[in-house]
Amino acid sequence: MKINPRYYPAIIIATYVIFLLLGILLGFGPERGGEGRGNSSLIRLAFITLETLA
Amino acid sequence: MTTAARKKPFSLAKSRRTIQWLAVIGTFVLGLRHIMPGEASRGGSFDSFCAFGGIETLLPYLFTGHLLKSTNLLNFSVLIATLGVALVAGRAFCGWLCGLGAIQDFVAEWTRKLFGERRHIRGKQSKTILPLRLPAIVDRPLRYTKYLVLGIILIASLYAAFPPLREFCPVRAVFSLKMTSLLWLTLGIFLAGSILVERFWCKYLCPLGATLAIFNKISPVRIVSDNNHCNNCGRCDIECSMGIEDVPHNLDHPECVRCMECLNTCARDGSLELKVIAKVK
Repeated sequence: MKINPRYYPAIIIATYVIFLLLGILLGFGPERGGEGRGNSSLIRLAFITLETLA
Repeated sequence: MTTAARKKPFSLAKSRRTIQWLAVIGTFVLGLRHIMPGEASRGGSFDSFCAFGGIETLLPYLFTGHLLKSTNLLNFSVLIATLGVALVAGRAFCGWLCGLGAIQDFVAEWTRKLFGERRHIRGKQSKTILPLRLPAIVDRPLRYTKYLVLGIILIASLYAAFPPLREFCPVRAVFSLKMTSLLWLTLGIFLAGSILVERFWCKYLCPLGATLAIFNKISPVRIVSDNNHCNNCGRCDIECSMGIEDVPHNLDHPECVRCMECLNTCARDGSLELKVIAKVK
């Protein structure tokens, strides 16, 4: 499918913003003073699920 | 008498230049924020906004559950966003959104002007002596250096407290405003390299570019050439800032930063087109 090149910048920016929001929604957000540590809620959920299954 | 407003034709090159300037200003603002007091309490350091910081801290996070110092969970979101763009449009991040890539494009343009090029004519070889195009025998092996840099950093990240590239990172050297002697040295090498060779850092050293390179082969949004229309005039080869040879036959080349300069330069309708390819070869 052919794309009009004028939409290319919008495609890139929209993709970047969507995936950035997706990352933040997955729990990889900025944490106050959270440098060098941190646990994503997604990772926590994954661990809990694995523990439950085990 | 009324005068109808003339609509200016759309320029992809101008759009790219605008986005690149915004990327540079945005990164510079992050650097400014970085030197403000109490930055840690406002959600992380300058390094927290780096996509490559996400790669550097990924292995320690997976193996130990701890992030490297000066990184933050936000690094993973920035990395996911960068990988998202790569998944859709290959290395378009490098060509459009990377502040460092933009600086290199600007330096190359200013260098050409400094060496006497009054106005750049699309598709016409610049007569200025700088930036150079290194001969293939030197250029090709040097391009593999970035993969070596990536490998070394990934291994080093398992043993490091801070991101391994941190003290030599050109993004910090250009934008962070917190300079050390090593960062001054990095800045000097980066600027000298960018004056000598167009997109020096991207071509030879950038480990993020090395990570994103593979996506050029699988991303669905790409430029496609039509051999029936292309007359191999070579205008696109001249305009390619990454120095890819025979551009129409190397449109999914790992070095391509999807800047669209080839598409802008092509004078033959239908020869190069932007398409969504559902089936990847």
